[in-house]
Amino acid sequence: MSVAVRLVPVQEAYEDLLNRTLSRISCDLGRLIYLASTRDYNTGNYYHEGLAGRFSLDVARKALEIAHRKAFYRVSALSLEDLASNLEAYLRSSRENPQVFLRAWQKLEPYRVAIPTEVNLTVAQLFTSNLRLALAILRFRQKLSH
Amino acid sequence: MIGTSSALIGAVVLLVLILLWIRADSASRHGACVLDEWLPDQSDAADLCPPEFVSQIFSGQDLAFISRLQSPDLKRHFLRERSAVALLWVEQTKEAIRRIMSRHLEASRLSADIEFATEARIFLQYAQLRSICSLLFLLIELAGPQRLHGMALYTDGLTQRIGNVLRELESGSRTREMDGARSS
Repeated sequence: MSVAVRLVPVQEAYEDLLNRTLSRISCDLGRLIYLASTRDYNTGNYYHEGLAGRFSLDVARKALEIAHRKAFYRVSALSLEDLASNLEAYLRSSRENPQVFLRAWQKLEPYRVAIPTEVNLTVAQLFTSNLRLALAILRFRQKLSH
Repeated sequence: MIGTSSALIGAVVLLVLILLWIRADSASRHGACVLDEWLPDQSDAADLCPPEFVSQIFSGQDLAFISRLQSPDLKRHFLRERSAVALLWVEQTKEAIRRIMSRHLEASRLSADIEFATEARIFLQYAQLRSICSLLFLLIELAGPQRLHGMALYTDGLTQRIGNVLRELESGSRTREMDGARSS
């Protein structure tokens, strides 16, 4: 009973996050990167001011953690073709120079910080491997267009 | 003459298999080292990979897409990346089976009512899984993961089944122990 009572606000906070914030981001990869950015690198805790204000700090933290893990598994399950399209959409939304963006992502691999804690090791490896491939595909297309 | 040539062919095949084994082993070890450096949490490293991802790793859909791009470099890159992921999955599965079995053996040692037939069946399935994993290890290098889709799904299904059976056995013996403690 007490677990059910505690889960209800987390579910509400999760839905609030989906409707108010995540629905405004155009692609799954963008949503994942956004959710990963709400995690504190030093503590691993999630923080979202608006959500914590509407609910509580703990409820907001839990909702963000769940949303992050779900977004991660959704992106990891994308086919390479869909992931490449997602990456292209994310690149366009960043408004950066495509060449600079692709070079930086290939060198720095910033997507590695988008991996949540406590996810399956093979899925984490599939995620980074697919992103490396998606980046190579976009660079290949870029070369062709030039 | 025929005996000598078949022995020679056998030796060559064995040598190729050993070389492939060493290559696959070092590739998976290298992959594990790379992962060690950056993955945030390794405590659940031996947990089973969700079945839909096993299907994805071994599916031919992504290879078909890459082939349509008609770039030999991209194709090589893809095959190398996907083989590394597939090898990691095999390693993880082997580790998960080992952990499940060692937990079961520990529980069996403490249990008073062991059924020989059930234990023999579990052991046979365990031995079968270990052999399939070793075979997959070789075949991933030899044929690529995309040709092993069925075999990988079978392995995953069998691993999940063994895990479920052992969980049921453990919870059954715990219930019996509690009933015994209550009645005494």
